[in-house]
Amino acid sequence: MKTLSSLKVLVVEDEALVSMLVEDMLTDLGCAIVGPAAEIDEALRLAGSAEIDAALLDVNLGGRPIFPVADALKARGVPFAFASGYGEAGLSEDHRGAAVLQKPFREADLKRVLEGLVAQTA
Amino acid sequence: MASLAERELRGDGQADASARLARLEAAFADEVRKSETLARVTEAVASSTDIESCVQVVIDGAREISGAAFGAFFYNQLEPDGESYALYRLSGAAPEAFANFPKVRKTPLFAPTFENTGVVRSDDITQDPRYGLNAPRRGMPEGHLPVRSYLALPVATRQGEVLGGLFFGHPLPGRFTARDEILLVGLGGQVAATIESIRLTAGAIAELDERRRAEERLKFALDAGRMGSWDLDVATKAYEASDLCKANYGRGPDEPFSFADLIATIHPEDRPGVLTAIEAAIREGADYDVEYRVIHPTGDLRWLHARGRAAQKADDGGVRRLAGVSLDITERKRAEERQKLLVNELNHRVKNSLATVQSIAAQTLRSISSPEFFREAFETRLIALSQTHDLLTRESWAGASLREVFDVELHALAGEDRIGFDYMADIRLTPKAAVALGMGIHELATNAAKYGALSTPTGHIAVRWRAEGGLLRLIWKETGGPPVAPPSRRGFGARLLERGLAAELSGGVELTYDELGLVCEMALPLRALEP
Repeated sequence: MKTLSSLKVLVVEDEALVSMLVEDMLTDLGCAIVGPAAEIDEALRLAGSAEIDAALLDVNLGGRPIFPVADALKARGVPFAFASGYGEAGLSEDHRGAAVLQKPFREADLKRVLEGLVAQTA
Repeated sequence: MASLAERELRGDGQADASARLARLEAAFADEVRKSETLARVTEAVASSTDIESCVQVVIDGAREISGAAFGAFFYNQLEPDGESYALYRLSGAAPEAFANFPKVRKTPLFAPTFENTGVVRSDDITQDPRYGLNAPRRGMPEGHLPVRSYLALPVATRQGEVLGGLFFGHPLPGRFTARDEILLVGLGGQVAATIESIRLTAGAIAELDERRRAEERLKFALDAGRMGSWDLDVATKAYEASDLCKANYGRGPDEPFSFADLIATIHPEDRPGVLTAIEAAIREGADYDVEYRVIHPTGDLRWLHARGRAAQKADDGGVRRLAGVSLDITERKRAEERQKLLVNELNHRVKNSLATVQSIAAQTLRSISSPEFFREAFETRLIALSQTHDLLTRESWAGASLREVFDVELHALAGEDRIGFDYMADIRLTPKAAVALGMGIHELATNAAKYGALSTPTGHIAVRWRAEGGLLRLIWKETGGPPVAPPSRRGFGARLLERGLAAELSGGVELTYDELGLVCEMALPLRALEP
């Protein structure tokens, strides 16, 4: 069983301050950060080819929905969670039921969600 | 007629026979004349369409039949002091004859007429025991038409309502016979029937008129409210729709529009709901109130609100008709949709702002050497964020310009006048880029005030930017401050600028700790900045 300390997490977040906060939290949890990506194209590139164990995706990336990135991760079997100010209501039909972190969230919330993602693949 | 003839024929001498025959012929001719007059008056009364002409025909005709010198009709009216009777029409005298006494009271003499208890016929009214009993006049007032022969009869409906009284008089006594009384009572009955019928007709016309006006008011209100009206026969599914109702379904006034057309026009997703609502309204006799989409023949999608109710019940208690109104609510629906989007967007922004504030708090706490510095550092960052928000709110979150962002972040600093700007054109920023650059500029400015060019009385900052090759190239260059050395560890400001801002705006940000002063160079793609 994987632990969070060896986990490579892709971060897709377009707001600098929020992105920095998430990086700090992941660093505290012992994860390695992939990205962070602030643009869809960069996120798609990383989702398609980088070595990733899990991903945390901001739903709205500068007005563009994140769902193509989620689809690419799904195709690779990489587990992911959404981070969103909209909560679950902001998700598309295809992704209802996916893990969601409602912004703002605590480090403990992020830990719980990541552990859930790891359990999926274990 | 028979008794009159017998009386005349019982005379004695044959010599008088021819004279008697002549008298008999005259009496007969008189009787024929009265009958003809009666027939003529009866016909005229029956064809009267207004009360005035009916009454006039009757009193003229009655005077002709009875030989009265004058005739009058007084009508029943309620006065504040009780009932009194006003002159309505006159025959055989000028109106001035009654000018001084146009009303009569219900004296013992007049009471039988106005209470509908019987006819008063007198050969000489001045000899009647009921005459002259009332103060102050005790009889006819001075100037009254001279009346000796008197005939008065009530005019009342079959239900007993007294409409008025007919009065006939003659200056000589003994002029009105029992025969006259019978004929005039008959005429009085016809007057009553005709007045009643005219009143009924007038009432019916007024009611029709009122209904027509009410219908016009209703139509006006429906048109003004852009409401269509409709009516469905439940059994036959016959459907009637007003022009506006048809327009709500995209049909012209002359185009056919059946119930089946209506159902077919409803958006397929909403059709089952509408049919269910119609069935429920019919089954339960309940109100019908439903909003749904329709697709006009032109392809236009519109929202309608229809309301109705069971308009008529069948004998078995079921609903026979369903009727109501329909209203195009597309604009309202669109406004609701926009509002929903705005509320969602607002919620999203608030949650993101909270996450931003959370980040500022967490990183401020990490970067300070001692907790007592936390409050000052955190609050100034919070206010910097708030100032950019104020700027964006003033512009309805459509964006802000780069110079405006500099101005709001720098204006509270001492030494604001020691910052020089050099640029060809201002740059328009998206709200997101404005917030990010605002935070970055705030970090540069507070650093300059604490440790850099603005921490001495003579330092200067030059801000220069150019847009070239799809990039914004911006240089913040401090001079005249204390000597600068690279910090031992990267603080919040440096991290925000070099890592956060660079990543968020997909560009590069580089800090150079030149001995003469700090230099910050940014190369940011315009596509990530401009709206």
